[in-house]
Amino acid sequence: MASLPAARVQELRRAYGPRVIIDGLNLTIARGEFVALLGESGCGKTTLLRALAGLDSPQGGRIETAGRPAIVFQEHRLLPWDTLWRNVALGLSGHDARDRAARALAEVGLGDRLEDWPRNLSGGQAQRVALARALVEEPALLLLDEPFAALDALTRLRMHDLVRDLVARHRPGVLLVTHDVDEAIALADRILVMRDGAIAGTHIPPEATRRDRAHPEAAALRRDLLAALGLRATAD
Amino acid sequence: MSATTAGQSPASRGTRPGQHNTAGDWGGLGLHLLSWLAPVALLLLWEGAARFGEIPPHLLPAPSKVATTAIRLIGNGQLIPDMGVSLLRAASGFAIGGSIGFLLGLAVGFSRLAEALLDRPVQMIRAVPFLAVLQLVIVWFGVGEEAKIFLVSLGVLFPIYINTVLGIRQVDPKLLEMGRVRGLSRGQLIRRIILPGAMPSLLAGVRYALASAWLALVVAETIAATSGIGFLAMDAREFLRTDVIVLAIVIYALIGVLADGVARLLERRLLAWHPNYARRGAR
Repeated sequence: MASLPAARVQELRRAYGPRVIIDGLNLTIARGEFVALLGESGCGKTTLLRALAGLDSPQGGRIETAGRPAIVFQEHRLLPWDTLWRNVALGLSGHDARDRAARALAEVGLGDRLEDWPRNLSGGQAQRVALARALVEEPALLLLDEPFAALDALTRLRMHDLVRDLVARHRPGVLLVTHDVDEAIALADRILVMRDGAIAGTHIPPEATRRDRAHPEAAALRRDLLAALGLRATAD
Repeated sequence: MSATTAGQSPASRGTRPGQHNTAGDWGGLGLHLLSWLAPVALLLLWEGAARFGEIPPHLLPAPSKVATTAIRLIGNGQLIPDMGVSLLRAASGFAIGGSIGFLLGLAVGFSRLAEALLDRPVQMIRAVPFLAVLQLVIVWFGVGEEAKIFLVSLGVLFPIYINTVLGIRQVDPKLLEMGRVRGLSRGQLIRRIILPGAMPSLLAGVRYALASAWLALVVAETIAATSGIGFLAMDAREFLRTDVIVLAIVIYALIGVLADGVARLLERRLLAWHPNYARRGAR
């Protein structure tokens, strides 16, 4: 079991009618590995994530995941009629479901809000509950579909720190789909750039950039990634 | 009369945006008392006009006269049984029509096949104002209890049906997708996501249905009955007892308000999570 990767995708193919979205894509995510996937809108990265989540059926290739993946969407997707702990415990069975949900909420700093309603949460808090709901299942694979895109810049940075801590503690394999080059640099062990339905490039952020966003090597990597995404690095 | 009180008044739905500040300046209690000013003034005006002969008593009796009539009719054991009969008719009709409407709504909401089979005929029948079938109903069932219960059921069925279907359709597909990712079974999806998501619409349907049921009952009891509040009023008309007629109208109105209050209490209990029904918005 431990030798199995968190996810393995081989020769994946997905087309909507004549439009080919993913064509011959290969990807392996090891347990405990944090992979970020960058790419322009419509390049197929969300389709890949949905295929891994079992929400989309590909036409060719193989997808293997270790157990059922957990997913955090761009929207929190909390059930407004359930209290926070019941949201986190959704689908859990057993009499200790409430305790497990309570522990997961405590981990994201909302341990005192078990009986609160989702409508009383800020955007960042709601996304933290969504993270707790994903991690309470102790998934081997965690899928993050632009989960911080709708948050303000400051909240987003705080969420990065939280996600880093949580992933370090639970060690799932992570696939983060994002538009944000800096987010990818700050979080990922490996950054993939996707183009025309396949992986077009792989970038490994140096250790130094993970600790220090302002490190000179981060600027260089940022330039490389923007170039790989087809942008000239004039944005600095 | 009861139809308007049991229906949805716009002010009964949560607080209006921007109303908080004014309420804060006036004090909630002050505004609440102020809202009773016009009704009480009208009542006093009516009492005065009737007392001093401005309104002939055979057209409209004074409110105090209606009240003494009420006490007399309760005292001689006439009023309470008639009220019981009317309530029982409304309740049976509501239970029957509501169940049928809810089950049809569930079927059509969940199954495209059921929608193809059922929705068109239901919508076609709905196009008929349900009171228009009154004469036919009397031919079918005579003037017995069945006719009244049938009419109430018919009035209740459609609002419940439509709001059940609408509620199920309005459930956010993104939440359903989340439930599926989470590995929920079909039964769990229905229980944890679809029914709670449909609940606001369902309860709105219940409130419309209550108004509709009440209207159906008034008409049914006034056309053909040998007991009930409507019969009381009809009987009183023969003897020009306007005090009894007004009393019947007032009772219809009061029960309508009471039923609406129960429905609103349900909303507050079942929709505590909903921002529009949260406690601070309730009155």
